[in-house]
Amino acid sequence: MATGSLEPPRTGRRTFLRWATAIGGFFSTLLAGVPAVRAFLSPTFKKTHQEKWIRLGEVDQFDPDTPTKIDFVDTGNDAWIETRRLRSVWIYTEDGEHFTVYNGRCTHLGCNYALDQEHHVFRCPCHTGYFEIKTGTVLGGPPPRSLDQLPVKVEDGIVYAEYEDYRLGVPEKVRT
Amino acid sequence: MASMFKWLDERLDLRRAKRDLLDREVPARLTWWHTLGSATFTVFLVQVITGTTLATYYSASPDHAYDSIQYISHQVASGSLLRGIHHWGASAMVVLIIAHMIRVFAVGAYKYPREINWLLGVGLFLTVLGFSFTGYLLPWDQKAYWATAVGTNIAGTTPLIGGALVALLRGGSELGAATLARFYAFHSLWLPLILTVVVALHLIVLIRQGIAARPRDLEVGAPAKTNDPKYPEYYREAYAATKRGGMRFWPDILGKDAIVSAAVVLIIVLIAVLVRTPLEAPADPTDTSYIPRPEWYFLPIYQLLKLVPGSMESLIAVGVPSVLVLVLLGLPFFDRGSTRNLLHRPVALVGLAFILGGAGFLIGAAGRGPRASEAGPVLSSVQRAGRALFQSQQCGGCHQLAGQGGEEGPDLTKVGLRHSVGWLHSFLESPSRFHSESRMPAYGPPALTHQEIEELAQYLSSLRGREEAPPQFYDTFPPPHKP
Repeated sequence: MATGSLEPPRTGRRTFLRWATAIGGFFSTLLAGVPAVRAFLSPTFKKTHQEKWIRLGEVDQFDPDTPTKIDFVDTGNDAWIETRRLRSVWIYTEDGEHFTVYNGRCTHLGCNYALDQEHHVFRCPCHTGYFEIKTGTVLGGPPPRSLDQLPVKVEDGIVYAEYEDYRLGVPEKVRT
Repeated sequence: MASMFKWLDERLDLRRAKRDLLDREVPARLTWWHTLGSATFTVFLVQVITGTTLATYYSASPDHAYDSIQYISHQVASGSLLRGIHHWGASAMVVLIIAHMIRVFAVGAYKYPREINWLLGVGLFLTVLGFSFTGYLLPWDQKAYWATAVGTNIAGTTPLIGGALVALLRGGSELGAATLARFYAFHSLWLPLILTVVVALHLIVLIRQGIAARPRDLEVGAPAKTNDPKYPEYYREAYAATKRGGMRFWPDILGKDAIVSAAVVLIIVLIAVLVRTPLEAPADPTDTSYIPRPEWYFLPIYQLLKLVPGSMESLIAVGVPSVLVLVLLGLPFFDRGSTRNLLHRPVALVGLAFILGGAGFLIGAAGRGPRASEAGPVLSSVQRAGRALFQSQQCGGCHQLAGQGGEEGPDLTKVGLRHSVGWLHSFLESPSRFHSESRMPAYGPPALTHQEIEELAQYLSSLRGREEAPPQFYDTFPPPHKP
């Protein structure tokens, strides 16, 4: 580098180097820090809700007044792992045109409820919750709210429902 | 702000800390080469920031490691950039730490009184290589798998303890889940801890001894040997004299450090943005045709092994690096001359030139070596079965594949560009129907089953060299058999 006598450094150079320390440090931190922070925070600004319309069957395959349970495999992406979960819904129609679809999990603690044909109600075996078939209203037992109705649509004679899970054991119907 | 500083100062004596650390006097006329150590340290910090963030999305299991890397690259915001910075940062760290060592070597800064810091520095160098070796297994792609297979096999050639060493490195006899888990644990837990502690010691010793002055200020009137009883006193006076220029650590040194460090970080980020971070096909332990090539900084050893006969292999593979490490560790103890300038130390100069020239030559030679399968396509299970047949039927005895094999028959490196699967299938069954003079044996039943011929044909069809061009088939079929 420089040759010359051992004279104290000039102040201009020192001011420059002082600023260089601050600016250099700031930019280094920014360059590495911004991608890191963005990546770390990425789950918070990612859209998590995806529409999932499930094909339940043709309109005329469901008998009026008899609820039908439909099991399906829900292929989900758990980050880098593809998962398959067995889900179920109950579908009910009074007139063969308008359909009501319930999430197959009891709103109490998530057990799979079943049809009690004798009393014509849904009965959950875990803690003996009872639900009305037509509206899903709680008839007895611990469930905090009615059965969770799912959005339904009929297109070209095919019934679809949008599967959703809701938080269990609370009176409000909120998405998980 | 001022009152907060006052509150802290009363308790921690910050003024004194500033005086001792930032305002301390340093030797005059230090060069820009002195910034290499701090640049290495900065890149280490960048690796810590990017590495810890990558770890939040990584799965150290052979089932999921590759998928989690894909997830990082495609799903995580800035994930691809982050992985790029970490990948290229690793290379930058190796470059910088070697450059830093060369600088210290060239100005004789490993000599009295800095022997301890030289040893700590050699420890840091080995730790960084440990980071590299454990780090590139983690993506669990072809290169990761095969380079680590070879790397651990090299350790296995060590006399006496080879077998135990392989088992220790792999966590079992085979490369697999246990290997990945322990490499990850070392890469992200042990090595960072070790590096942090040794860096702290390195810096504490540096602050206690002061920054090395330039050689010529410590040579005039010096006793010939550093173990001369008069040398310590000479050194103390000569070194104190270099500080009379009124240079202070901050801003005179730290400012330059910050400029170089920021430039280095900028270059790494630019490379990460502009150059695709390599990720090969997922690790495939059944792929015996893959030619593994290690990262560039391990290429000298890789290339060296090609040049020596097999019987010498363990001697070279384990011996040369071991001797180099021993030389580095012993350097400050057998080199007692007080001359520090490299240009006046002929033995050191020749030694350095020999090592750098040798390493450079070997890297260059390795760069010209075969790398055919590096960009190879991902094979289906049928094609993999076909590849196994290609080996067991010894097709390579007559045909060339990526520069290897016999020369009797046509080169098959790009056969998939010339012929369709259907044509290849028919040809394999009975070559003489296509060329009456063909010397190739017919592989139709009973030599191979139809299933096997199809597997082989599918594999051959996947051989398309490294070209992006679509295949152009020149398939001509012979007239149908007359019964």
